[in-house]
Amino acid sequence: MQNNITLQSAKENHELRPLAQKPDSELSLRSLLDMGFTDTQAEQICESVSKFRGGGFTKHALSSLTTLFGLGLNPTSVLKVLQKCPELYTVKESQLQQRIGNLRKVGFVEGSLQRLVVYYPQILTVPVKTIKNVVLFLREKCLFTVQQVTDILRDSPAIVQEDLGQVEYKFQYVYFRMGVKQAEMVKSRLFRFKLDEVRCRHCFLERRGLYETPDKKGQTFIINPKLDSFLKVAQDTFLTEVAKASAEEYSVFQRLMAREWQEEDRHHSRIEADSDDEEVEEDEDDEETSGKSGYRKQRKT
Amino acid sequence: MMAILVDTRLLLRRVKDFRSLMPRRNRVKEKWAATRPKNPPTRLALQHFDATYSVQLGNLWPSVRVALLSERKYGALVNNFSYEAVLANLQAQGCRDFISDTHTETQSCFEQDKAVEADKELGVSMKTSVNNSQQHSALQLSPSIKCVVFPRGDITRFKPARPDMHGLLGYYLMDAASVLPCLALDVQEGHSVLDLCAAPGGKTLVLLQTQAIRFLCLNDVSVSRTLRLKRVLNSYVPKQFLSDEMLRITSFDGTKWAEVESNTFDRVIVDVPCTTDRHSLMEDDNNIFSKSRTAERRRLPQLQLELLLAGIKAACPGGEIVYSTCTLSQIQNLSVVEQAVYLARENHGIHLEVVSLRPLTHMFRKTFHFTPDLQLGEMVVPHLAANFGPIYMCKLKRLT
Ligand SMILES: C[S@@+](CC[C@H](N)C(=O)[O-])C[C@H]1O[C@@H](n2cnc3c(N)ncnc32)[C@H](O)[C@@H]1O
Repeated sequence: MQNNITLQSAKENHELRPLAQKPDSELSLRSLLDMGFTDTQAEQICESVSKFRGGGFTKHALSSLTTLFGLGLNPTSVLKVLQKCPELYTVKESQLQQRIGNLRKVGFVEGSLQRLVVYYPQILTVPVKTIKNVVLFLREKCLFTVQQVTDILRDSPAIVQEDLGQVEYKFQYVYFRMGVKQAEMVKSRLFRFKLDEVRCRHCFLERRGLYETPDKKGQTFIINPKLDSFLKVAQDTFLTEVAKASAEEYSVFQRLMAREWQEEDRHHSRIEADSDDEEVEEDEDDEETSGKSGYRKQRKT
Repeated sequence: MMAILVDTRLLLRRVKDFRSLMPRRNRVKEKWAATRPKNPPTRLALQHFDATYSVQLGNLWPSVRVALLSERKYGALVNNFSYEAVLANLQAQGCRDFISDTHTETQSCFEQDKAVEADKELGVSMKTSVNNSQQHSALQLSPSIKCVVFPRGDITRFKPARPDMHGLLGYYLMDAASVLPCLALDVQEGHSVLDLCAAPGGKTLVLLQTQAIRFLCLNDVSVSRTLRLKRVLNSYVPKQFLSDEMLRITSFDGTKWAEVESNTFDRVIVDVPCTTDRHSLMEDDNNIFSKSRTAERRRLPQLQLELLLAGIKAACPGGEIVYSTCTLSQIQNLSVVEQAVYLARENHGIHLEVVSLRPLTHMFRKTFHFTPDLQLGEMVVPHLAANFGPIYMCKLKRLT
């Protein structure tokens, strides 16, 4: 994933420390060059920091840089991190340290911690409490193991900024509707995908007769394809290898599903708004219906 | 195993606690599959179809299956009796009349089409490639039947039709493939026509668009559905075309039609009750696959056979009969026709010829997916990009 990170030697880090400890230190081009940035890199940093000027953020900018160097990132990686997430210039040093400390506690050891920060620097903008909640949620509501939780945060760190209600729905969909267990969810990197993507591929397979919800004993009549064999793959691979369908069919199907779900939403909000839920007039066994009600006959999935 | 079961219960309990925190759209509204009623009729239907159609359709089945389980497409039969510029309005929305859309192209194609549908075992004359000129005339489709559809792959829906200043509706929404049996019937000026199972009247409306029929007999055993048929007619056709001299509506048991009259009609359409595959997969209410209707379902092929035989007897010698269903089931389609042809000859001395519908299917191959190489009759199979059907149809001509 991130193979271009080189960790600087501890010695180098050490030499940089005193810079940061200078009280009220200025973030000058000079100091940036001293940290090991090239001319252009230093200019880029000055420029982005200047955007935050006025809030007394220069101090935080400097401490953020120091903290990132403290993690052992080299100047190029540090720059990359800050470009991806300029917000980090404004985070207090103590908070950054706390958050890093917490990630270590959650199971990120040296190397994987740095990879995480470079891959998803936003993780350092998230309060410790939020991360703790997510971890607790994954452990207690979804019954993932400690190791699985670390793996999820590593592979799909954006989960920490998602609505946990949505995450839980996705989990339950995959667990109950698809009959997939936790280990397989982690392996397929489930939480990287939007619920609708997961549902769409699953429903497509299901309606083609290629996927079946296991019964209470976990049994199915057919052998379901593994989640990671149809979720992680590109769409053409999904279509040719797993669904054995044409792109035309899937394109129509995606549009139909999007409309179906949209209408479900609207239907639900209507029911909640007022309870006199207008019932769809039922036809007997006609193959035809001469009006709108025919469109509404939809399979409940 | 044990551990998994425990987990499940634990989680299910938690689902409830968490409900209120979930955004509305994703709130668990129904119980998850694990705890749903075991075998609703729609599910039984699906199991039944999986077992039979996977064999019958082979690797076509998954594609048909997903289409059957997804939203169908409609066609809008243009009501020529309406005073509004219905066709133009619909075309402005991006639809096209699938019937006229192909005319030019066809002329050249079907001449090469000499598919002979002969089934030796039947021992009946099944000459199909009559001469070319005859096939030509067989394909002179009535120019007044117009049915518009949105293009292939387009999932736009039609708005419900609205009444014009005389209270007549501009179009009738129906499965566009249902128009095909009516086109196949090939109604000519001055014909007398019997629609043996007519309610709620979709095919009747198609036939009426031709304004060529001298006398039309509409029948359906169900009284309530016959009433619906009348309502449909009144919403689409002006009174003067529904007079007693032109139209008769009855609620007889169609299988006993011969007791009323026989050897009478130039054209007979026998659109029988069937397992209504699409409907049976979607609606649990009043589903033919529900346990309580098992006997009725098992009797369907026999009922269909009797209805088709009655239709055959009602036609005059030289007259033509179209049998149609909205199921993919071979037992309700080909087998019924085979037996009817056989029994008509054995028991009633009526000789029939199967009329090829290849020219017709060839003509509309842009709009519908047909099963290739059916030995007897033609079938529209649903496909996501052209989600019409299923419709089976077979045309017979009385030689004696
Ligand atoms: C597929 S529907 C006909 C649809 C109709 N042709 C149309 O296009 O709107 C079959 C009809 O057959 C009728 N039916 C069932 N048994 C019958 C019988 N023994 N005689 C006449 N009609 C019958 C049912 O009431 C039902 O309306």
